[in-house]
Amino acid sequence: MSVSVSQEKTKNDIEKYRHIYVIIEHFEGKIIPVTLEMLGEARRLMDEFNQKYNSSEKVVAVVLGYNVRQLCNDLVTYGADSVIYADHEELKYPINDIDTKIIAQIAKDAEIMKKISPEYEKTFVKPRYMFFAADNIGRHLSSTVLAELDSGLASDINKLVISDLDIRHEHKTKGQSIRYEKVLEMYRPDFSGFLWTTILCLDNKNPEIFREYHPQGCSIIPGAFKPIEKDSSRKGTIVEYSPNIDHNLKIKILNRRVIKKTIDYETCKIVVSFGRGIKDNPEQNIKLVEEFAELIGAEIGITLPLSKKPYQISQQLDSKYMIVDRVIGTSGSNVMPSLYIAIGLSGAVQHISGMKDSEVVISINPDENSPIIDESDIFIKGRMEDVLPILIDQIKKQMSTVSIRSN
Amino acid sequence: MLNVGVIIKLEPDFSEGNVSYNSDGTLNRAETKNILGPHSAVACNAAFYCKVKYGAQISIGTMGPPIAETALRQAQVLTNAEELNLYSDRLFAGADTLATAEVLKNGVGKMFGGGIIDIVFSGHRASDGETGQTGPQTAWKLGYTFLGNVIEFNIDSDRKVVIAKRLISLQGMDTIIEEVESPLPVFITIDPSYRSIYNTVSQRLLLNKFRKEGRKRSEDYRQFLKVYTSKNLDLDPKRVGLQGSPTIVYRVEKIPRARTNRKTEIIDPSNPNNIMPLITKIIQLARGK
Ligand SMILES: Cc1cc2nc3c(=O)[nH]c(=O)nc-3n(C[C@H](O)[C@H](O)[C@H](O)COP(=O)(O)OP(=O)(O)OC[C@H]3O[C@@H](n4cnc5c(N)ncnc54)[C@H](O)[C@@H]3O)c2cc1C
Ligand SMILES: Nc1ncnc2c1ncn2[C@@H]1O[C@H](COP(=O)(O)O)[C@@H](O)[C@H]1O
Repeated sequence: MSVSVSQEKTKNDIEKYRHIYVIIEHFEGKIIPVTLEMLGEARRLMDEFNQKYNSSEKVVAVVLGYNVRQLCNDLVTYGADSVIYADHEELKYPINDIDTKIIAQIAKDAEIMKKISPEYEKTFVKPRYMFFAADNIGRHLSSTVLAELDSGLASDINKLVISDLDIRHEHKTKGQSIRYEKVLEMYRPDFSGFLWTTILCLDNKNPEIFREYHPQGCSIIPGAFKPIEKDSSRKGTIVEYSPNIDHNLKIKILNRRVIKKTIDYETCKIVVSFGRGIKDNPEQNIKLVEEFAELIGAEIGITLPLSKKPYQISQQLDSKYMIVDRVIGTSGSNVMPSLYIAIGLSGAVQHISGMKDSEVVISINPDENSPIIDESDIFIKGRMEDVLPILIDQIKKQMSTVSIRSN
Repeated sequence: MLNVGVIIKLEPDFSEGNVSYNSDGTLNRAETKNILGPHSAVACNAAFYCKVKYGAQISIGTMGPPIAETALRQAQVLTNAEELNLYSDRLFAGADTLATAEVLKNGVGKMFGGGIIDIVFSGHRASDGETGQTGPQTAWKLGYTFLGNVIEFNIDSDRKVVIAKRLISLQGMDTIIEEVESPLPVFITIDPSYRSIYNTVSQRLLLNKFRKEGRKRSEDYRQFLKVYTSKNLDLDPKRVGLQGSPTIVYRVEKIPRARTNRKTEIIDPSNPNNIMPLITKIIQLARGK
């Protein structure tokens, strides 16, 4: 228990946990955008941290792969102070078991610490914080790495703050108020998209269940943060790590096949999306949306709950529209059409994040309190059942015989 | 015989008509019904597929309060499971994913009297808002090979391997289907898009037979039910529930509305004069002007 050992010793000598480790994702030589977003946020947090605590902790990028050396410089220009990379043919594609072991080794390696922060080498035990992407790879990798490191993890985070907090908790502090320093406050939007839950990963300071929980880990929603501007003059340490690869590889990748997205939102000028507001008459309302979208040559999107098929509708509409490929938002596609029409959807943060860069936004909704109103240039206050027929009718009249599609 | 385990969860029912929201848009937990979670149900379907195709025996486990029995029962209807396990103890309450995985690890360890379970399935996530961490963390603690987002799988019983297809979709990239081979035992989280496909007549006959049997068994599900506490799961109380959870929920608040650059104009559609300029605008945009 380091805390009580030496109050007079400077804190720097006894801290066992250092730095933000950011787990990098890349694909065929390209860095996935969320990686740069995580680096940007880590940079911002670390700059403040070092100023506030008068320290020199770092943003450490961790890259596994094959022929990844050339990515490392880029990571420095986007905010990493140090890059630790493991380069091996067997690491060409992510495999959870292998990657977990290597990342956990790297996270505990004192030799590496000697190279990137010699001043901390003697005391270093594990990273202070660890960031992963909340996607198909990072979600699972974060889970297994933190299970291996025996610490806590929050998923799907879109805001981070580091602060000192006085905590009183039945178990963690045995009901006492104790100050925790350098706590990562991890904000997670809940399923409705309107509530934010702040999750903390805290050491148990209660002597009966004493246990230290570091790193404080999280997975970060793609699109939630902004990368920093690329700065080619930034300098960083790049360190190679030679992993201990089990040649008795348990998992073999037999084949990888790219499937083109069935719906191409990139080239369409108008996207019409609908949400749970169709509920009063789902079949009829979807048909209305369909007619409207066809008329103006728009592609159709949906909100996440609809992809879970909450309504009884005809098989034909169901398999065409209630599909994951049509979800707009953090769990689906980002779109930026000239016109986005939001019908019967409330505008949860996860949805907004996927459409906020649209040029013009029109929404149809009876409830002025729905947050989508803030993201709308035009808010048509009314029920879709009433509004859509008017729009369809008027557009037909104005367009007379010429179809927009052929235009 | 192939031993298959499934870990499932009782969750709020988000389907229309069953879910109840408070006036501020948050879930009204007291009013909302609880059911076997939809992702858990997909995991059950995958296990049932193993039964029809490979003659597996199935054990289902859940950590939760006594009421979670109802989820086990629904899971038995879907799988015709031989064994239902409820891991229930006051000490387990308030567990985060790491502390949940600790219980599930020992729970899976006790399935079918404590042998190796060839395949364990979990759902992709709990309904809507949960983490998707419990499956992989349980897998890691068990020391099983983990495969995520599995959309299709076949087992080669002679070689004791599973060949699985996984979905990988990354920000801004086309989706990838990856085919992997892994020796048993494996831990699979099943992708929501998974569907069991039964090709042959004999499979369909078996399917109907097992379905019937499953419904029958579930009428008397308690006969198949084992209830475990932290004691008979040999768990260290310091590693489960709130005490064993690294994370805590510190605060819940409304997300402040985002500042945007849009100047919202509110339109009353009942007046045609309000609508006409809008129509013109939509048509212009549609024509790309
Ligand atoms: C990790 C995570 C990721 C998520 N990712 C996404 C994502 O990528 N995309 C996404 O969309 N969601 C996502 N969500 C879900 C999100 O939080 C919201 O739950 C969801 O967007 C709400 O969907 P909705 O707007 O259709 O439904 P609701 O919030 O129920 O809104 C329905 C709206 O319809 C309006 N309405 C009612 N009647 C009518 C009528 N007759 N005519 C017109 N309007 C009517 C109501 O006023 C209301 O505004 C995610 C959640 C989590 C936890
Ligand atoms: N208490 C639990 N008991 C059994 N299985 C669970 C439990 N919690 C989560 N799971 C499993 O883990 C999956 C993902 O849950 P979560 O990590 O909570 O999103 C679920 O679909 C279940 O299969």
